Amino acid sequence: MKDYQLAWKNLWRNRRRTLITAASVFFAVFFALVMRAFQLGTYDKLYRDVIESYTGYLQLQQSDYFDEPGLDNSFEVDPAMLMEFEDDPNVTAVVPRLESFALAAAESRTQGVMVLGMDPEGEDKALNIRNRMVRYKLTPEAAEAIRNAGVPQRTERLLDVFLNQSYTDESRLITDLGINNADTASVMPVIRRYAFFRNGYLTAEDTGGVIIGSGLSAFLKAEVGDTVTLMGQGYHGTTAAGIYTVRGVVKLPAPDIDNILVYLPISEARDLYAAPGMATSAIISLRNTDDKAVIQTRERLNLIKGDNQALRTWQEMNALLLNQMEADNRSGAIMIAILYLVIAFGVFGTVLMMLAERRREFGMLVSIGMQKGKLAKVVSMEMLLIGFLGVAAGVIASLPIVFFGNARPLRLTGEIARMYEDYGFEPVMPMLLPDTYYLWQVVVVLVILLFTVAFSVRKIFKMNVINALRA
Amino acid sequence: MITSIAWKNVWRNKTRSLTVIAAVTIGVFAGVFSMAAINSSVVQRINAAVNEELSHIQVNNNDFRSSSDIRDLISNPDEVISVLEKTNGVTGVTGRIIVRGIASTSAGSTGVEITGIDTGKEQQMFTIDRKLIPGTGSYFGSDTKFNTAFIGEKLAKELNIIRYILSTEALSGLETKGVPSSVIEKLRPLEGQRFTTEKKFSAAYSELISEREKKRYGLTIKETAWSYREGSRIILTFLDLNNNQTGAAFRISGIYRTNNDLFESLTVFVPASELRQLTGIGEGQYHRLIARLENDDLTDGVTPVIREALPEYEVMNWKEIQPDLAMIADYINQIYAVFMVLILAALAFGIVNTMLMAVLERTRELGMLAAIGMNRRRVFMMIMLESIFLSFVGGVAGMAVSGIVIAITGRTGINLVKYSEGMEAFGYSAHLYPVIGAEFFVTLTVLIVITGIVSAIYPARKALKLNPVEALRGE
Amino acid sequence: MKVVEINDVSKTYHDTEVEVKAVNGVTLSFEKGDFAVVVGPSGSGKTTLLNLIGGLDQPTGGEIIVAGHRLSELRPSELIDFRMEHVGFVFQSYNLIPVLTAAENVGFIMNLQKWPKEKRKARTDELMQSVGLADRHNSRPSQLSGGQQQRVAVARALAPRPEFILADEPTANLDSKSAETLLDIMEKLNREEQMTFIFSTHDIRVMKRARRVITLEDGRVISDERTNGDE
Repeated sequence: MKDYQLAWKNLWRNRRRTLITAASVFFAVFFALVMRAFQLGTYDKLYRDVIESYTGYLQLQQSDYFDEPGLDNSFEVDPAMLMEFEDDPNVTAVVPRLESFALAAAESRTQGVMVLGMDPEGEDKALNIRNRMVRYKLTPEAAEAIRNAGVPQRTERLLDVFLNQSYTDESRLITDLGINNADTASVMPVIRRYAFFRNGYLTAEDTGGVIIGSGLSAFLKAEVGDTVTLMGQGYHGTTAAGIYTVRGVVKLPAPDIDNILVYLPISEARDLYAAPGMATSAIISLRNTDDKAVIQTRERLNLIKGDNQALRTWQEMNALLLNQMEADNRSGAIMIAILYLVIAFGVFGTVLMMLAERRREFGMLVSIGMQKGKLAKVVSMEMLLIGFLGVAAGVIASLPIVFFGNARPLRLTGEIARMYEDYGFEPVMPMLLPDTYYLWQVVVVLVILLFTVAFSVRKIFKMNVINALRA
Repeated sequence: MITSIAWKNVWRNKTRSLTVIAAVTIGVFAGVFSMAAINSSVVQRINAAVNEELSHIQVNNNDFRSSSDIRDLISNPDEVISVLEKTNGVTGVTGRIIVRGIASTSAGSTGVEITGIDTGKEQQMFTIDRKLIPGTGSYFGSDTKFNTAFIGEKLAKELNIIRYILSTEALSGLETKGVPSSVIEKLRPLEGQRFTTEKKFSAAYSELISEREKKRYGLTIKETAWSYREGSRIILTFLDLNNNQTGAAFRISGIYRTNNDLFESLTVFVPASELRQLTGIGEGQYHRLIARLENDDLTDGVTPVIREALPEYEVMNWKEIQPDLAMIADYINQIYAVFMVLILAALAFGIVNTMLMAVLERTRELGMLAAIGMNRRRVFMMIMLESIFLSFVGGVAGMAVSGIVIAITGRTGINLVKYSEGMEAFGYSAHLYPVIGAEFFVTLTVLIVITGIVSAIYPARKALKLNPVEALRGE
Repeated sequence: MKVVEINDVSKTYHDTEVEVKAVNGVTLSFEKGDFAVVVGPSGSGKTTLLNLIGGLDQPTGGEIIVAGHRLSELRPSELIDFRMEHVGFVFQSYNLIPVLTAAENVGFIMNLQKWPKEKRKARTDELMQSVGLADRHNSRPSQLSGGQQQRVAVARALAPRPEFILADEPTANLDSKSAETLLDIMEKLNREEQMTFIFSTHDIRVMKRARRVITLEDGRVISDERTNGDE
């Protein structure tokens, strides 16, 4: 009989103990995986929201701009250089921007805003802005009309919860209003009709138009067609002021940004801030956005860029966000570490008991001729098998949950949702698909097993056969 | 007697029992301590919010909170003040003028909330004056030939008012702070150089010293080089009562530091009189009236009283203004409960295994006990008690250890500044002073006993199923 | 007075396909003061018969009456209480609770029956005296020899004044001297207190002392002799 077969048989001699020990490992692995799936999924979404709708993966800036963002650190756009950038195999578009701060006023409300002068088509190509324009809004009038037209009760209740929410696509609307497959055909036309939001977009030549974020629109009470005044400080300290009409409302996933963003065609922005031909940054949109690809692209572009310029990655641009997520990440990791620590003790205790119980048996085996090394090998295999049983069970049990949580992310509502939004996060908790974090759990369990194996092997080699036989 | 037998049974196999007890101790300690750490930052946040930012009750016009319109002044301020002062539990009342605007220096500009205050009264009601960074001036102390402003450190950094300079004295001063002279010498090339941002300074000295030295002394170097030129000025621009853009240069009277970056970068305090002059808002006119209560617990009781007396206004307490504060405390409690249950569940596996062993190796003895007359209830009790003892002893030990560690760190604090940039952006302090209420321990004890009971069920059933005849025959 | 009445009692086991009649139609009775021994080869049904008498097991046929109680009418939980009050057991080994002292072991059942402390102490002292272990009150079982442990077991079994004491091979693990001492004590108790003893044994020493020898073979009584024993 092979060693591993013997080990397997031995495990089932004390079935209860084997199962309970494996169950404890399963417990820890399962919870760790589900919790990490949540945590990492949420971070991933956070980063993606900010990167893919606002900062992009790579930006070209003037060297000092990063430390001192401001119009005074803008750079003159060199079209030839940008075209060279676009020649790079991993670059799909390069979109210059002029960003600065201003005070926006509509009627009698004012708000500090981020004015983003951009190329409407370029920005759309890089960051998909058109798809983020509001398509549906559950205004009070719309909700009333929808109710009157007759919808399932569940949807009626949810209309109250999501009152005044803006939507960029139907799928989120369907999920939020709890419309299931059966009702879609009958309910959606109703919603499409009453909640439809008349929206527009900008062209590069538009000299009086802006697009504002949905949060900003709600605050300033400025709808499509309303007027907004922008006041600020221009290049080299000049005063900047202008009056604009709202052409459209966009909804960006990060509430922080959505509440203060104003898009302006870049030529208009340059006029407003008296900065002809200048840009504060250029978004470099990439084909392959893996960390490695981003860094390699940067290295290539570093050779082309001007001396006074720098290429910043998304990690650098979102350092604060990363820091916050790291802190949260660490606290989560600590909780899981504690869980594993407790389980490790349990496993170790079980191993101790098992060794004590089988002392006589070991003594007998060695006395009739089994090498201590072989005995140690079999016993080690037993432990590893238990560990793997637990891990495998934990992994398998977690998979359906993780896949489900990824496809249909948990959506928070009520007060907790508001709390999240106050902190600038969308109240959605998606799960991350199996990734390296799955591997980590296996590693941790392996480490625990290694300790117990080492301990057991040592005990076996130190065993005095005669004393063992007397046990 | 069953109790004493159970207790003695636990100690029959010392190694085994001690392993399980140790596991429980560690699990309980880890759980309680981490909760105390998190709890403390919540407690600190609430205290800061109440004492530095919001106070207890705020009264303003119904639209003001959303519109921030300068013309939205309180219609009858005297009435409001008198109501507030007469209300039971109120220890102080003050009024503020609040105007949104832009603060700028040559380095840049940013949106702020300019808050005109009655400096004398506010000192009694808020502790923001104590948050003055030493050496940056005072809380509106010196003469007011100019307009003066009290601004936050974050704002000062954003506007490049704070600089980093390693002057000769600062450089030698580093030695007293524990920085070795070798490192000081490496930094000498930077002597006297002015850096306008933290990042630039950081980049500069990072090139001169090693990674390890940076880790150890970086913070100290930064703190020492931090410098501010007294009397720097900022320009505040805003709209006046007639919607005309106006503003003035303000001398900075002092810089405050709280744990809330958002608050620091947004809130600029100026004496109300100065703001009145610039905006045209008259004497005795306010946007917001604020009441301070004797203690936080009175909030829920006093708010409805004031609301009833002032129905035409919007009356909000700190919990309503920042619901996340009150909510976080609850949220944390729930997470705590779940976390502890998880830990105890994990421990239960170990206890069940141990108890199973203990039962199975005593088959003959249990058979004998049943034979001579120990009934099922007593056998069950005995095993249940053994299990409870295991979890309880470990639990008590864990709670005792955590109690001690919490008491110690509660006083000395845990310094997480190195890891904490993100926390301060949200208003959470990076210095934790772990604290936990006695109720936690009570709840926890109950949970621990329940764990013992639940863990005993399976082994006890096994014991009861034993047939005395077969048991006596031996295994 | 009849202490135990056994009427046509059988115990059948169904071991896979084969039916095993461990006890087959046994009719016996024991009087107060009997010092009886049940002997027979292995597999003769000695232990099974004793288990039935003691209420540890239920017969598949027939009736056992102990001190007026019909054992068949008692539920399993009632049997436990019954055993506690009416039957004393002395097993071959593992008689005592390892974590209790000798005195505590003796007082165990009295404790379960909630005797007041003084009465308990008095009876314990008395019993420890009778078995010749008056100086070993505070010893743990692990500190006592095999013979001493058995004597403590006898003391414990006697404590609640049961109807009789069942001893299943009590001397099997003892050397000659300890066995003799144990038997002396049991005989003394039988004489002085009229305590009924029912043994099952292989041990000739025990058989020689008995005043009644019941021989079993294949679950049936093949002889039941009253002798004068060692006078």
